[in-house]
Amino acid sequence: MTVTLVTLLKILVIYGGLINVAALMTLAERKVSAWMQFRIGPNRVGPWGVLQPLADGVKFIFKEEFTPEGANKFLFRIAPMLSAVPAMLTVAVLPLAGDIAIPKLGTFDLPFFGPTELGGITTNLSITDLDISVLFVLAVSGLSIYGIILGGWASNSKYSLLGALRASAQMISYELTLMLSLLSIVVMTGSLDLREIATSQATIGQWHIWTQPLAFILFVVATFAETNRHPFDFAECEPELVGGFHTEYSSMKFALFFMGEYCAMAVMSGLTVTFFLGGFGVPFWPDAPWFVELPAFLAKTAFFLFLFIWVRWTLPRFRFDQLMGLSWKWLLNLALFNLFLTGLASALGWF
Amino acid sequence: MAEFLFYALSIAAVLFGIGVISAKQPLMCVLSLLGSFVCLGVIYLLAQFQFMAAAQILVYAGAIMVLFLFVVMLLDLGNVEELKENSMRILGKKRITVAVVVAGGLALTSLLGTRDSMASAGPEPVVVRPDAYDPVAEIATLLFTRYLLAFEAAGLLLVASMVAVMVLAKRQREPLSDQR
Repeated sequence: MTVTLVTLLKILVIYGGLINVAALMTLAERKVSAWMQFRIGPNRVGPWGVLQPLADGVKFIFKEEFTPEGANKFLFRIAPMLSAVPAMLTVAVLPLAGDIAIPKLGTFDLPFFGPTELGGITTNLSITDLDISVLFVLAVSGLSIYGIILGGWASNSKYSLLGALRASAQMISYELTLMLSLLSIVVMTGSLDLREIATSQATIGQWHIWTQPLAFILFVVATFAETNRHPFDFAECEPELVGGFHTEYSSMKFALFFMGEYCAMAVMSGLTVTFFLGGFGVPFWPDAPWFVELPAFLAKTAFFLFLFIWVRWTLPRFRFDQLMGLSWKWLLNLALFNLFLTGLASALGWF
Repeated sequence: MAEFLFYALSIAAVLFGIGVISAKQPLMCVLSLLGSFVCLGVIYLLAQFQFMAAAQILVYAGAIMVLFLFVVMLLDLGNVEELKENSMRILGKKRITVAVVVAGGLALTSLLGTRDSMASAGPEPVVVRPDAYDPVAEIATLLFTRYLLAFEAAGLLLVASMVAVMVLAKRQREPLSDQR
């Protein structure tokens, strides 16, 4: 009973948190870009404009929903969901903090269940613990491509279709780099469990950013391409494709694509932290309680989220052939080379 | 709960399977197949084959179906009715009847054979799970003893459908060879 309640609570808190992070990211994007360009940014709705995402949400809900002529109505409708759901699903296995001991709370007389004893268990701050959570993350995030392809195809518009084709070619190419760079971490830790990977980097010197610097760089570049962010945002690419795969989308459907993108960014940042920066570990405090570990994890993740915005407003966009060339000619080979070296070192017993 | 989920997912997988062969648009066929794969993946997860579930989603849903989707989207398969008529013309009613009879016979034999082998093998074996429990080995053993006939029939059907696809695709390319 307690386990069920705690799981429900974790689902509510973690998903609520994720959606709030996604909403706040839209505000952060505008604020940071404004600061970088000597502007002020949204500052009218609430202090510092923090209620701006709420106002945007209300606006999205009341906007007209438009379906273009000749569109495949069913696919046009489910594409935004297919794009948002996988991005949100992956957060279920992210280890956000270590063990939490819940003290015995006593016996309560619950409706329908009768007297029930609550509390007295130890849990940890992730919705579920899979033995193969690394594979789960890769498998589910690979599904988010369907939302983009189907959305672009169902819109019955050339811009959308071109954006979708570009996006899927790019995501398939960079997925290889992403997985191969992760494999070297898996070889080093010998585990496919994200929690185990996080706890194996107990001290700051054991962080994989020091032991696997090449894999770190490859992974971060690949996450930018996987989430369709600048400088790889060819799915949208305003000067060439109007809005890319979501050209024809309006109202809440458009917002769902956006939420999916920001959720994917948050999850990818969390993964980067888990794989390379010690996850929820607090530097110089090995046995920190969970209420210190959680902020530590969030702070590290926030840095990578900021990096996404920072890069977007700093670097120009690639050309599409350069993007594919970068992936197939450089990143993939480097990732394979890195994996080979890691395997060799592992076979020689260097770690 | 797990049992209910198993039945719900199995029914969904079969319905998606029917969708694959009955949908009007090729794109919907691909999506039905995708849905069927996802259902199977979750069934593996329910049976504690976590690695197989992940591989199923990663390889089939994540990679192969994207390829299918690309092919279907980029080839202009606009007029499916014409294609259907064309294949009917190539195959002819007689051959289709023969094919249906053979396939039906195959399905019936595998069903009856499996029932017989199940009856002769006695009740479902009680699986004792020692520490070195190897689910893959157990599946393999069951496939080659208890469910041998059904397994071989499925293999035969796969080969037959592959040959059929080749025949249909080959014949249809001929009228395209003279410039339109």
